[in-house]
Amino acid sequence: MILEFMREDHRSCDHLFTEAENALADKKTEEAATLFESFYQATNHHFDMEERELFIAFEKRTGMMGGPTQMMRYEHQQLRSLLESMKSALNENRHDDFFGIGESMMIMLQQHNMKEEQMLYPMIDRALGGDAELMVQTLKGMEP
Amino acid sequence: MYNGLSLDQAPPLSVVIRFFLTVPLFGLALCMILFLDPIAVLTPNHPLSLAAIHLMFLGVITMSMIGALFQMQSVLGGRPIPAPLGNAFLIHLFLVIGILSLSGAFIYTQPILFVIASIALGASILHSANLILPLLFGGVTHDTLRGMRLALIALSLTAILGIVMASEYANESFSAAHDALRNAHYSLGLIGWVAALIIAVAFQVVEMFYVTASYSSWCKRNAFKVIAVTLILKLIWLIIAWPFVWVFDLVIGALLVGFVATTVKRLKERKRRVSDVSIWLWASGMVLLTLSILTYALFNITLNASLLSFALIAFALFALAIILAMMGKIVPFLVWFHLNSAGFMDAPIMSNIIPTQRVKGVFWLFAITSVLILSGVFYPPLLQLGALSGGAMFTLLLINLIKALKLYRYTLVHGTRFEQI
Repeated sequence: MILEFMREDHRSCDHLFTEAENALADKKTEEAATLFESFYQATNHHFDMEERELFIAFEKRTGMMGGPTQMMRYEHQQLRSLLESMKSALNENRHDDFFGIGESMMIMLQQHNMKEEQMLYPMIDRALGGDAELMVQTLKGMEP
Repeated sequence: MYNGLSLDQAPPLSVVIRFFLTVPLFGLALCMILFLDPIAVLTPNHPLSLAAIHLMFLGVITMSMIGALFQMQSVLGGRPIPAPLGNAFLIHLFLVIGILSLSGAFIYTQPILFVIASIALGASILHSANLILPLLFGGVTHDTLRGMRLALIALSLTAILGIVMASEYANESFSAAHDALRNAHYSLGLIGWVAALIIAVAFQVVEMFYVTASYSSWCKRNAFKVIAVTLILKLIWLIIAWPFVWVFDLVIGALLVGFVATTVKRLKERKRRVSDVSIWLWASGMVLLTLSILTYALFNITLNASLLSFALIAFALFALAIILAMMGKIVPFLVWFHLNSAGFMDAPIMSNIIPTQRVKGVFWLFAITSVLILSGVFYPPLLQLGALSGGAMFTLLLINLIKALKLYRYTLVHGTRFEQI
């Protein structure tokens, strides 16, 4: 339940990033900036869904306060910093830097997503049990 | 259920890099043997041929894959390998001693070297499996994890059969089952270890890093069951010496063709269109695997030994292509990641750690080497040229790794950290 919903959101963010990257590779700078902004907003919204609702609910159910969710929060900070660097590179027309930082961001983001999809979300699904459906509705209702 | 779960991003750099740095050195040794006596290397069961095969599959392929497992385990397995510095040091040390002894044992036919190789390789491989396998059981499971389990079990069995055969070589006394043992040894090693691990990783990496459609869940759920059951049945058939063993090769061949077809389709239709050397390497790997399957099928029909050599070399080059693709990403990422995590503001970006031109250089040398060596199976004078270009490829790979490491150390000493501002 949680796994499917959040995995779909990961894929949707990935799609936005590839569109921005493809546009910049085609020298469509303005389109790339718009698409990157969508990716930036969507990714930060995804992190917010986890940090404000999902992780807190999991921690309450399991009592695991300093475990995997804490590591995920730390990685969100690293990824947010990379997103800011990419945004600056794009605004300052440093396109090589955008692609270079983007490569690091993409590997880190995908490793992060793998850990969530393979380990953390299934654990959250188990911990929430029948309340997982309600959680998905809460997440869907969060303002981007 | 959650005991020991940690989602750390990466082990210390030295853990992974020590394995990767050794790879080009064994690659260079392999190219030297091929250059000095190409005909012997192509002759089945010739000591130099056996030394070359083990330098490739242990020194280059297994060395890289165990190094990569130290990185992947923390990402895919959810539980990092404990005491990574000490364990990586021991596993690497014994692997190096074992590979050198085994190659020396074949070349110089020294019984004592077979004994040393058996002890060192057995210790290294079985310790790796003993260390990692328990981490893959008991928690949340997924398809890639099942593939990693199969790969490690197959690697352990390959090593055990290898030890049995090494004792035969040491005593120069070969049992009636020697051919069956050898067949089981390479089936487990090539398919159960190398192919299964690459497929397991592909299920994750292709979809997520290149933003492609997902592999079908039926394939992901059943691929490793098919490989495991087929290998087990093949071993039983080999032990009892029943006929029609080729049926199991046919099943595995069909599965690998399916893997190639679905992977190529995904790479072709990937959403991330930015040109990337790793894509070229994945595509080359798929072409080489296809060539390997086709020539192995032809060998079973014609029994032409050259076709078997071609199939084996194409398979080794397939694995090397994927390894080069993986190394080209992991090494710059780890260097950047560790510097960035340590707070260095001027941590170089990935494309500055190993510049694209040098990564492309490795790819083109790999492509030239593949063409020359595979053509050399049918026209041997090309083998020495292949050995030279292979030597150049491994040298450039070594330079790339050393320069990345130097940049890492330079930034550690001279870089500016956030806390220093």
